[in-house]
Amino acid sequence: MTTYLFRKVAMLPIMLLAVSLLIFSAVRLLPGDPARVMAGPQATQEAVNDMHERLGLGRPFLVQYQVFLSGALRGDLGESLHSKLPVTQDIAERLPYTAALALTSYLFAMLVGLSTGIFAAIYRGSLFDHLAMILAIIGASIANFWLALMALTLFSVDLGWLPLLGAESWKSYILPSVTLGVLPAALIARMTRASMLENIHQDFVRTARAKGLGSRAVYLRHTLRNALIPIVTIVGLNFGGLLGGAVITETVFNWPGIGRLLVDAVRFRDYAVIQGVTLLTVVIVVSINVLVDLLLSAIDPRIRFS
Amino acid sequence: MTDPRRPTAVLTALLSLSLTAAAFAQGNADQLTIMQSEPPRSMDPADQTATFTGNVLAPMYEGLTHFNKALEIEPLLATKWSVNTAGTEWTFTLRSGVQFQDGTPFNAAAVVASFQRQLDEKRGLAASGRFRSVIDKVTAVNPTTVRFTLKKPYPAFPRLLAGDAAFIVSPAADKKGTLGRQPVGTGPYSFVEWKSGEYVLEKANPKYWGKRPAIGALKWTWTSEPSVMNLAIQSGQADLVNPLPPIFTQVLKNNPKVTLLQGKGASVFWLSLNTKLKPLTDVRVRQALNYATDQKALVATLLRGYGAPANSPLAPADFGYDPSAPGYPYDVAKAKKLLSDAGYKDGVTITVASQEPDSSIVQALQGMWAKAGITLKIMQMESGVWSQAAFGTPAEKAKAGINSSFASWSAGTLDADGQLSPLYATSSASPAGANLGFYSNPKLDALLAQGSSETDSAKRKTIYAQAQRIISQDAAHVLLYYPNDIAAVQSNVKGVWIFPGGGIQLEDATKSK
Repeated sequence: MTTYLFRKVAMLPIMLLAVSLLIFSAVRLLPGDPARVMAGPQATQEAVNDMHERLGLGRPFLVQYQVFLSGALRGDLGESLHSKLPVTQDIAERLPYTAALALTSYLFAMLVGLSTGIFAAIYRGSLFDHLAMILAIIGASIANFWLALMALTLFSVDLGWLPLLGAESWKSYILPSVTLGVLPAALIARMTRASMLENIHQDFVRTARAKGLGSRAVYLRHTLRNALIPIVTIVGLNFGGLLGGAVITETVFNWPGIGRLLVDAVRFRDYAVIQGVTLLTVVIVVSINVLVDLLLSAIDPRIRFS
Repeated sequence: MTDPRRPTAVLTALLSLSLTAAAFAQGNADQLTIMQSEPPRSMDPADQTATFTGNVLAPMYEGLTHFNKALEIEPLLATKWSVNTAGTEWTFTLRSGVQFQDGTPFNAAAVVASFQRQLDEKRGLAASGRFRSVIDKVTAVNPTTVRFTLKKPYPAFPRLLAGDAAFIVSPAADKKGTLGRQPVGTGPYSFVEWKSGEYVLEKANPKYWGKRPAIGALKWTWTSEPSVMNLAIQSGQADLVNPLPPIFTQVLKNNPKVTLLQGKGASVFWLSLNTKLKPLTDVRVRQALNYATDQKALVATLLRGYGAPANSPLAPADFGYDPSAPGYPYDVAKAKKLLSDAGYKDGVTITVASQEPDSSIVQALQGMWAKAGITLKIMQMESGVWSQAAFGTPAEKAKAGINSSFASWSAGTLDADGQLSPLYATSSASPAGANLGFYSNPKLDALLAQGSSETDSAKRKTIYAQAQRIISQDAAHVLLYYPNDIAAVQSNVKGVWIFPGGGIQLEDATKSK
């Protein structure tokens, strides 16, 4: 277990270094000049050149990367061109909002997805099962963006129940969480149903029944526990997708998280912010994957040895 | 990420959010919530060039001069001014008894410092280029008198000083280096908070020297999603949305709770034609494109009627605009004839570099021009890519095959010089300036030079009338239209008006329950 853990964690810095170089190059390869964007379309070439100088963009690529890397190692990701804040502070202000949104939407997805999947499996072939699976297909294929606008129109404008802007009260969490949670909920529901059905006819379930255990214990303690492995995997893998969805959801809902921060940064060619947010996203996704691996090995001890 | 308190931080954030919700409850009669199409770019007025950032800053800052509702120049922080006969020395008398929101006194030294930093090349402030090309030096004559020495006569100087970039900033705040984040001016509102992902909050400045505003606080929010603006004004969660995309005017016009505001637009929309790349090297082809353009149809469909066809490279709100300047009527037969005269009997193929939000405009042109045998290839680009392509050199554009660039322009000074020189002077040829098609006519250059330093208004007008005719004749651009500025406001909000170009004017705004 320790070597397993060690191997996973030791790989992290090497991977981060590679990823940082990749991100840094990719951002520089973005067409468009931040000095031009910053100075505005009405600026003269002279003004653009001055801006170029001020932003340190004239220096050789490797020198720029070195400055970035040594800063990053000290926890300094540079300064945002627009908010004029250190990127770390900009991110620190925004991250809790994205984290809270991810949390609530996953909570929603787990609740809806697991319960729907379990019941659909137990009552396989019933009307509920069919209906749930049709909804799951719709949920998995619907455009996040469209759903968000429809939800806003109905609940915020027509009915006036929920706020439209920002993240100012608990009510603000409902629409973005549900919108963002629909896709993982649908995936979880389908995966749970399939996985439960696979396990329901296994020998150990029959044994459990034969021992005289009640349905609830059979389904939850025995079947679900074994069915959890693919579910946890898909939940973990989907986390990156969730962050991707957050970029769109946060834009539509004016959510002050890192997704919207990234969108604005790309729009303004705010290099330092793009680098910072992308790097952070990579760290989060990688850490979640390590966490999922560990969780899987806790659920099923056989995984550690394979 | 290594912060062990992070999970608690999330919870704390959640909790504090629900608490602050009470503080900023909706329907607050003493607060105006304004939603715009983009976030503010900087709180330092000299370090940004965006109209929508200017709107956020305007309630907190003031300049020496400003435009009144009739679009005339009026004194603000200056009480009066005079100019020497050569037109190169402008002397301003300053208002006394004014102080910045941080308590720093407003005086000649503050004005000098505010402009000195713009003239300092090393600072490289984003909006400072215009001042550096006009102003030679700024001196304090005495504590209430400032003198600007210009590089050459510039009759539109008081107009230049009315722009957002000329807002006077607190010298103390500039020294601290915090202006980019925390604005300090002399305006009727003072800065409270900028939550970078959410809003900018301003509250009435109790120490303001002038008339106290009727509304206690301003809250600025933003979205890049136009339909969210429409939803925000319809649901009452924004008191004002700016700019309102024309497609939503139809719905909102019939909503009694919402009033549409219109301003005479200051921007001209056009296609700059690359005069250095075939087939647009031939003036007849350029004219043909103009004849093939049905401006009225563009205004009716794309702008829903909120605008006017462009007959001149100047906007109607600009000084020097000539209403009788000859535009190009829609005439497909004439376009075809010009093309065949130029040796393109089988038509021509033109490319245009345009940005995503303008895709419907260039698509409409594509359809119109096809009738005259002109094939328009659209090169759609994201804004950062577009600005690099549009501001390319002749060689770069030839290599990329860019015949034309779609853009718009408004001179913040509402002056003919600010609109014409950067777009049509030979010296402004891209990448040095915004003459994106490398258009060059020595006769026009001479007129522009003359116009920019002529101090007699009547003479200036004649000079610019001539200039407009030359540009039109040479067909440097395909001129399209002047869109009106449109904003939507809740009907209980009164007194707001729009400065040509999209500047929201809130000084007389009131809000009833």
